[in-house]
Amino acid sequence: MIAVALDDSADDVRPWTEGITMPVLIDPHHVLTELYAISNVPTVVWIDEHDNIVRPNGVAFSNDMFAEFTGVESGPHLDLIRSWVRDGELPISTDDAREAVGDLDDDEVLARLHFRLAAHARREGDDSTARRHFERAAELAPHDFTIRRALLPLTGGDPFGQEFFDFYTEWQEAGSPYHGLPGTPPPE
Amino acid sequence: MPRVTIIGYDVRNIDADVDDDQVLIDAAHLPDALGWELKPEGLCRDDVCVPVRDQSTLFVDDRVDVARVAAALGRPAVVDGDARLVSVALPAEQRRQALDALVAPSFELADLDGTLHQLEEWRGRKKLLVAFASW
Repeated sequence: MIAVALDDSADDVRPWTEGITMPVLIDPHHVLTELYAISNVPTVVWIDEHDNIVRPNGVAFSNDMFAEFTGVESGPHLDLIRSWVRDGELPISTDDAREAVGDLDDDEVLARLHFRLAAHARREGDDSTARRHFERAAELAPHDFTIRRALLPLTGGDPFGQEFFDFYTEWQEAGSPYHGLPGTPPPE
Repeated sequence: MPRVTIIGYDVRNIDADVDDDQVLIDAAHLPDALGWELKPEGLCRDDVCVPVRDQSTLFVDDRVDVARVAAALGRPAVVDGDARLVSVALPAEQRRQALDALVAPSFELADLDGTLHQLEEWRGRKKLLVAFASW
């Protein structure tokens, strides 16, 4: 398991990684969201021994802390992982895997560039440049959590506060757009 | 010459002049700026060359515009001339490979101690790549 934190600095992540032995990488420029077309976290990509993607980005959780809010339980996905590791069983066909994520559109790519520029400017102490580009990023990708929610802690907002819940409602009203597989439902 | 910061895979500082939203550098400095070199056959890195039909379109007078070169490589760019910052997209081709050919794009990222890691390190093993965040 390789964990990649879409966070600004190692210090943001440390509280969550105590006692964890797996590699934890830090991606302040959100390179991963551009390379894999990721629009929210947590998301899990299954990659085989030959570096092929066998199950693309999908909503998944390691426990049920947020299950009531998200409607996604952790168990069914963990069961699928066990079948893959033990028996090589894949839960999705190659054709379905190709259809599952959907490419970023031009605005979503540009939003990532503005976000990256803003994060850099902020780190350099140029808050007015940072704010301008965070705002532009949010305009270009209004339903992308890796932009809209990720910028809250970088602009003095609260990613668990009212601004987030307002965004969440906006996102739901837009039809809950998402790049990737939905959460795994329990087997019937 | 004043410095401009280019943010792509990594953060690079180069000598450049900014004219509105044009970032002008000597063509000889392209490898420092974007990792690609301008040759008669096109924009080249290692053994790979991306042909450029009319190289004069990359130039403003005797220098190249970084954003135009990035565009020729299929990489959109955002230029903030006042802040002297340029942000350049990763090659869209890599993402399309992930989505269409289902080949996992490589990346190089630091762990919490600052040590760099690439996806290839774990080749030969089944992997779960988990993106998460504190927010």
